[in-house]
Amino acid sequence: MIRPTPVPPSAAVPRWARRTSLVVALAGLALSACPAAALARPAPTPSASAPAPGAPAPSPRTTTPVEHFVFLMQENHTFDNYFGTRPGVDGYPKDVCMPVQRGVPEPCVTPFHIGKLGAIDLDHSAEAFRVQYNGGRMDGFVEGVSKQGKDGRMAVAYYDERDLPYYWNIADEYVLFDRFFSSSNSGSIRNHMYRVTGGPGAAGKAETIPAQGWGDIPTIFDRLEAAGISWKFYVQNYDPTITFRSRVEEENIDRGAQVIWVPLLAYARYVDDPRLSSKIVDLDEYYTDAARGDLPAVSFIAPAGNSEHPPGNIGSGQNLVRALLTQLVRSPDWSSSAFLWSYDDWGGWYDHVTPPQVDRYGYGFRVPALLVSPYARRGYVDSTTLDFTSALKFIEVNWGVKPLASRDAKAQTFLGAFDFAAPPRPGVLLSAERVPVAVHRPDPRPVYASYAVAVGLVAALVAAAALRGRRRHR
Amino acid sequence: MSQPDAVTAVVPGQRRDHPDDPARRRIPPPAAWLPALTRRRWAVAAALTAIGGLALLVRSWRIDLFGFNSDEVVYAGQAASLAGNPGYADLFPVFRAHPMLFQALLSPLLRVGEVGMGGRWVVAAIGVLTVLAVYPLGARLYGRRVGLLAALLLAVMPYHVIVTRQILLDGPMVLLSTLTLYCMVRYVQRQELAWYLATAGMLGLTMLAKETSVVLAGSVYAFLALTPRVRRPVRATLLALPVLAVVFAAHPVSQALAGGSNSGRNYLVWQLFRRPNHPMSFYLENVPTAMGVLLLVAAAGGLWWARRRNGWRETLLLSWIAVPVVFFQLWPVKGFQYLLPVAVPVVLLAARALVLLPVPTRLRWPGRGGPARPVPARAGRLVRLAAVALVASTLAASSWDAVSHQGSSTFLAGSGGVPGGREAGRWITEHTPEGSVILTLGPSMSNIVRFYSQRQSYGLSVSPNPLHRNPSYVPLNNPDGWLRNNNLHYVVWDSFSARRSPFFADRLMTLVRRYHGRVVHTEYVGAPGASGRVTPVPVVVVYEVRP
Repeated sequence: MIRPTPVPPSAAVPRWARRTSLVVALAGLALSACPAAALARPAPTPSASAPAPGAPAPSPRTTTPVEHFVFLMQENHTFDNYFGTRPGVDGYPKDVCMPVQRGVPEPCVTPFHIGKLGAIDLDHSAEAFRVQYNGGRMDGFVEGVSKQGKDGRMAVAYYDERDLPYYWNIADEYVLFDRFFSSSNSGSIRNHMYRVTGGPGAAGKAETIPAQGWGDIPTIFDRLEAAGISWKFYVQNYDPTITFRSRVEEENIDRGAQVIWVPLLAYARYVDDPRLSSKIVDLDEYYTDAARGDLPAVSFIAPAGNSEHPPGNIGSGQNLVRALLTQLVRSPDWSSSAFLWSYDDWGGWYDHVTPPQVDRYGYGFRVPALLVSPYARRGYVDSTTLDFTSALKFIEVNWGVKPLASRDAKAQTFLGAFDFAAPPRPGVLLSAERVPVAVHRPDPRPVYASYAVAVGLVAALVAAAALRGRRRHR
Repeated sequence: MSQPDAVTAVVPGQRRDHPDDPARRRIPPPAAWLPALTRRRWAVAAALTAIGGLALLVRSWRIDLFGFNSDEVVYAGQAASLAGNPGYADLFPVFRAHPMLFQALLSPLLRVGEVGMGGRWVVAAIGVLTVLAVYPLGARLYGRRVGLLAALLLAVMPYHVIVTRQILLDGPMVLLSTLTLYCMVRYVQRQELAWYLATAGMLGLTMLAKETSVVLAGSVYAFLALTPRVRRPVRATLLALPVLAVVFAAHPVSQALAGGSNSGRNYLVWQLFRRPNHPMSFYLENVPTAMGVLLLVAAAGGLWWARRRNGWRETLLLSWIAVPVVFFQLWPVKGFQYLLPVAVPVVLLAARALVLLPVPTRLRWPGRGGPARPVPARAGRLVRLAAVALVASTLAASSWDAVSHQGSSTFLAGSGGVPGGREAGRWITEHTPEGSVILTLGPSMSNIVRFYSQRQSYGLSVSPNPLHRNPSYVPLNNPDGWLRNNNLHYVVWDSFSARRSPFFADRLMTLVRRYHGRVVHTEYVGAPGASGRVTPVPVVVVYEVRP
């Protein structure tokens, strides 16, 4: 077989390994050139903090082996709405029944599978949170929706593995967080600002993007830029003409939402500076970057139509996440990557865990969050109290950049979800089917027995014929 | 077929036996079971050892040069799955179209790990056994010389060599059909019911190797119908048929007891009504060259120049040839290896012809007057020896060429391994994540990729219409939807399938372009260009695709 084009090394050897090999080779060269120095150097001793055998050494620029962090933000679901019926997590309490009216136990609505009912866009404003939260009594979920003239019972509808087979499979294989809160007890704008700045953006009651943009509020990308760490903001169906200057209030979903879901587009410097704006790119680049092994250190992803925002199709959201993860798993960068995705707010859906109120803006209710990485613990449920600023915290810890605000400075992060002592796991493309197709394996014994009997019978016939002939001729 | 007298019906060294020689009944047979081995046993054993060694050499030479073809991976996969090999049990169902005699024999070798070349070695050994089995058959029919020569011709016949280097059912089937023929000869010679029943049982076993060998029952019938001097007891046939049925019952019974599927029955229905896969001229274009044109000329010529000696033996051998040839020629489904059972009677006829090659006893030399002069007996032997050497050496050269070639970008099913298939499959195993699902152009490459990569794969050209597809294959009703929903992660194009179905090759490439296909691996074969220089030609290309 002729092989004129050998397999590119990038496909076979992870980048960290190539880099480590290079460092080791250079060190070896230096030592061989200076034998006295090598002799004078003390022998290395095993350190308590040293990675276990087989585990990769962290990159010189990271404190963990994670060199590529990807953070996707989907839309508008609570933890209970997606995983409340999953065993082994802090899901629906037994016998929960949500009153139709706050403070009046009866009548009430028990959580039910959404089935064929179409999801509706439930109210998820700061006012809706106030009613549903009800001073921490958590009994206003139905009323919070019905007050807006919608069917309040829908607030306690839920999805399960029948609807979210891929996400549930991911939870089996990687990490599911069951105390991950939205950062703000209001809607998308503040939560997305927490995601990139560690703060709410607009102070006070108004949850709007200022006409002049977000001004000088520092973002995590400013920190990365200053430290010379690569980053990109990938935007699905990216339209660079939609910025805070051109956005029309009415076109809220999708096109107008681009400015909400990509807060950088409401910063004059990110829009006007070609160096910075060139890092806000279409999602297609994610696929090519990942395929080439050129993912930046930090990647933020914003969806468009596949955001799972009700009444959007959650299946198409799963497809988007699956496509992103498929590409990451196939990427040469896989062995040094971590992919986190969560949901920007609760979307009006019921969640039974009372969110801690760490300041006047939040936390909001719990949202689903999952982590996929070759270092992620398998089937692990992480119950650390986290919010969107925990992702900032991870970036700050991993790449050694300063916190942006008090929230991210104080936030806990999800280092416990990783097992850096173990070598990176090979990637697995998980099925979009929850129940694997059962393969019926026939019992082999009747097969062997039947054919053995047939062979034995024929052998006996031939032997009988031969012996009979011999006997006759004697 | 006329029944010649006893004197002309034999070749030199041949035993005269019933029914051609009624006197044979009065002569006690030799003491040994294989009488031909009793005289000059050492010489025969040495010759057989040499022929066996030669047969093994050509069947094993670079046996692993190419990976398995589609049929091979199906049978090896079935065997591994039957043995419970975890790498294959989920990907290859135990029961598909054919009975499982050979797969059951093979399965203990494939219980764990990757299925390697062990299966091919087993088939090669079976091929050598067939060569050796031709000797007693030929010796019994025509004597030791014909037996040894027939074994030599089969040992180097490219057709038999090529097929018995692959994990196909035809190699084992031909061994058993040869033994069936042997039992039949014993029956004709002894006229004993026991050998008739043994023939029926052995034919049942042949059918358990591959059910298409049922056509040989037609050969038996044709022979008995054309040879009135052979006893045709109706009661014996009434006994023999149940024996055949009981032996073959191992197939349906094992399937029923093991909880198998209906795929076997569906497969038969599909085979009966499927569209032809090759033109009517397929066998004429491929089989004679694979068998050896000189060999066929010798076999046919022998029937003519020794026509006065023709008898029940030739009727039997021609029946063994004619019925399968007619059947498979008329059958819409054609396969390169389907006519392999014909190889054994052909070599027997050819060997007989070469031994009986007429050499004039007196010759008038050109330019010399006077009466014709006698030709020395030694010259006659030399002429025959030269003829044997010519036929055998051309066969051996063709076989050697067949087992030594480097592969090409075209491929005829059943003619050997598929260049690049194994290597592409292994590349997929090593460089794609577990859980990857592959779309190939056709079901053949799909089988190969599934076998070597242990990834699920589907063939684009598999029809969603159950009337137009092999029931063993799973169609993709909407491949575009599968790609759009990220259920297919890689696409494999191959030149062999592309040449067979340009329409689906075009569709495949449309899907590749639509779903951002990116070449991640290519397998090449060397092909001589116009200048004679060998240039790499892509035969398998792996694309990474995404929605």
